[in-house]
Amino acid sequence: MGAEKIVRAAAGPVIAISVAVSLGGILLLIIGFNPFRTYYELFSLGMGTYLGVTESLKRMAPLLIMSAGLIIAFRSGIWNIGGNGQFLIGAVLAGGIAPLLMDRLPLFLFFAVLGCAGFIGGAAWVTIPAVLKAKYEINEIIVTLMMDFIAIYLTAYLVRYPLNAQPGLFPQTVLIPIEKRLPNIPLTEVHIGLIVGLIAVVFAHYLIKITTLGYEIRFSGESRKAALYAGVNIRKVVVIAMLLSGGFAGLAGANDVMGIKGAFQAEWNPGYAYSVIPLVFLSRLNGIAVIPLAYFFSFLSIGGEFMSRAAEVPVFFVQVIEALMLIFFGVSEQIRKRGGFSWGS
Amino acid sequence: MRQDSETAVGMRGIKKSFDGLSANNNIDFDLKRGEIHALLGENGAGKTTLMNILSGMYHPDEGEIFVKGKKVKIGSPHESLQLGIGMVYQHLTLVPTLTVLENILLGTNRKFLLPGKDAEGKVREISEKFGIEVDPKAEVWQLSAGEQERVEILKLFYRGSDVLILDEPTSVLTPVEVEGFFSVLKRMAEAGKSVIFITHKIEEAISVCRRVTVLRNGEKCGEVDLGDIDMGREALRLKERVVKMMFGETPPAKAVKQKPRKVSERTILTFDCVTAKNDRGVPALKDVSFSVIEGEVFGIAGVDGNGQKELAEVVSGQRKVDSGRIFLVDTDITNMPVRFNNDMGIFYVTDDRIEEGSVANFTVAENAIFRCYRDEPFARRKILLNMEQIKSYSEELIESYSIKAPGADTPVKTLSGGNIQKLVLAREFSQKAALLVCNKPTHGLDEMTVRYIRERIRRQSDRGVSVLLISSDLDELQEVCGRIGVLYRGEMIKILPGEGAAVGQIGRLMMGIID
Repeated sequence: MGAEKIVRAAAGPVIAISVAVSLGGILLLIIGFNPFRTYYELFSLGMGTYLGVTESLKRMAPLLIMSAGLIIAFRSGIWNIGGNGQFLIGAVLAGGIAPLLMDRLPLFLFFAVLGCAGFIGGAAWVTIPAVLKAKYEINEIIVTLMMDFIAIYLTAYLVRYPLNAQPGLFPQTVLIPIEKRLPNIPLTEVHIGLIVGLIAVVFAHYLIKITTLGYEIRFSGESRKAALYAGVNIRKVVVIAMLLSGGFAGLAGANDVMGIKGAFQAEWNPGYAYSVIPLVFLSRLNGIAVIPLAYFFSFLSIGGEFMSRAAEVPVFFVQVIEALMLIFFGVSEQIRKRGGFSWGS
Repeated sequence: MRQDSETAVGMRGIKKSFDGLSANNNIDFDLKRGEIHALLGENGAGKTTLMNILSGMYHPDEGEIFVKGKKVKIGSPHESLQLGIGMVYQHLTLVPTLTVLENILLGTNRKFLLPGKDAEGKVREISEKFGIEVDPKAEVWQLSAGEQERVEILKLFYRGSDVLILDEPTSVLTPVEVEGFFSVLKRMAEAGKSVIFITHKIEEAISVCRRVTVLRNGEKCGEVDLGDIDMGREALRLKERVVKMMFGETPPAKAVKQKPRKVSERTILTFDCVTAKNDRGVPALKDVSFSVIEGEVFGIAGVDGNGQKELAEVVSGQRKVDSGRIFLVDTDITNMPVRFNNDMGIFYVTDDRIEEGSVANFTVAENAIFRCYRDEPFARRKILLNMEQIKSYSEELIESYSIKAPGADTPVKTLSGGNIQKLVLAREFSQKAALLVCNKPTHGLDEMTVRYIRERIRRQSDRGVSVLLISSDLDELQEVCGRIGVLYRGEMIKILPGEGAAVGQIGRLMMGIID
């Protein structure tokens, strides 16, 4: 891809981000904050400190892993918006299995088995909507979303009763000791989940781009009618795409348990899916473009958390910015499609 | 022609083209007051385009429009309504959860409160005057298609339209409803309203209209006055004349007529009493039996919607049959999936090249490999796509089928309809085929491309590939086919030799008249 092409492709998201940030500034002004000072805090804490950068890079891991799955699902025309539920199921499964294995397996095998458990958990959780969609054409948006609530309460039950490490204390699974968590990337304090995330999105990118399955996925997403005409087995594609997206969400859950939390805790629901959905759309479902955007989103949420402590700006302010970005991106895409604006030549 | 007060609408020299493809070429059209005027032609003949110009949806490239003798410019559907011209579209546009009255008022009421009683009285008055029986308080979802159509008409009358354009109004109606609908039309005409009745069904046009204008390939082929003709023998002859106008005269013997071909007697495709339903679950094919031999071009004639699409789809594997068997040589391919049929050598050129035959956002290369993306050399071990091979293959197709595309990486959405059709054809014709199903392969294309495609079909048959050619263009069928089967309401009512068949005879058979 030529440099000019990249610039043109990046123009939409960049403009959307700038407009969202400016409008966010006006909002800050309205609720009585100094926008310049607030943004200064946001950027200096999020990007200008060692801690901010490290935490942002750690946060990237689950976002990238989930993006990999959602890119595949959205490309196939499937709206799996139940990533949060799949994340929780993967996390609780990893957290539940960890104490059984951590003393019996060599470390790398331990990570691999837990990762697989997370993946399988997430994939299993999406099996119901996948089969309902493939077999009976039942709307996957509603089913995946509703399955989120079931996942929240199911994991809450699991962590309070069967998997609870110390009944009576704060409900959580047995804590994985620090030395048995995901190791850091050499010379950094960022655990290797980031590498897993990068591999995942690159895998998704090339799966879509250069494999026959990827061709079938894009085919089903672009035109069901034409795919049927060409003899593509759409049901198979739908099921595979959904299982992959659920699996990656589950893997993200296992990643956070193994890398950050060390256990599955009650009331824990980071809701990454709500960031990942706008994120993958901003990247135009491109697995490579997702990487810088994932960093930006991680920075926003980490910087937002830090800023809320420093400047007392509510945490959800960054969510407002995320939402605004998506809206303006939608607008800029529409303008681009109609050719009403031309960026450069 | 002078524009007297008796003329409700006049259109002069209307020209309209889309992306260089002419949809209307120099068309004149007149509508008198109190007249029901049929606009007749095959799909794609330009009927709807012409009427969309009159209703303000499109702007003509050239030409003039007169309404009640005055020259007008119609900028939008709203302006057209103001001039008293209203159009009822093929797909009804009522809100199902609202009542009839609410639907009629929709968009007309500028006040805060709904007009209530007055409006209801006015609607009842109109419906009594024209014999349009509908309960204004009924909710639209409860109404049959026929009743909904009446509501659409009422809506236009309520807004003061006196020229009504009805686009294929009978396509959604049952035969009984059609009868009732025609009597409403006649009453409207008697009351001084003018109606333009767009249709491709000759019988309907003749039974209800006073004049018929025939369009073909975007041009006006003639106008027939039916005013003072009593039905009977006269009507039959007239019908033949209209059929000829619609489908073209038999051309004088062409220099290169069919070459005598070595005909093997091997049967390639066999239909044995095949019955199948259409998408709405209504039987579309009834007990169809025929066979196609090796290297033969077998034509399927019929007016659109008589089972041709379903016939093509049961062969390609896209549609299940209810009963009967289909064989390719000796293999039973009944209800086998598309991919199996592809492997057997059956390939299908769909009539819907834009939605079904291609993917707009895919590149030419991606569109070229629909049938072969899993096979060597395009895929390594069925998993990885081999981009270089795919690219060079599609460049070959572009070259050998002279597709006008900048390159293999061009998105198909930027190509013209004719070039997309060539691409679809190139793709299907480049496979190892035993049988090619072509559904209206030349429909809506310019003359050059049409000739080119027919030549390609002939070449395939010379190579021993059998072709099932579905077409509503009788010239085409005569020119290319060895035999022609006529489908009428899902039944194969007759199989004729292509050579001797007269257009008139086929045309009559297409209307279900067996002589």
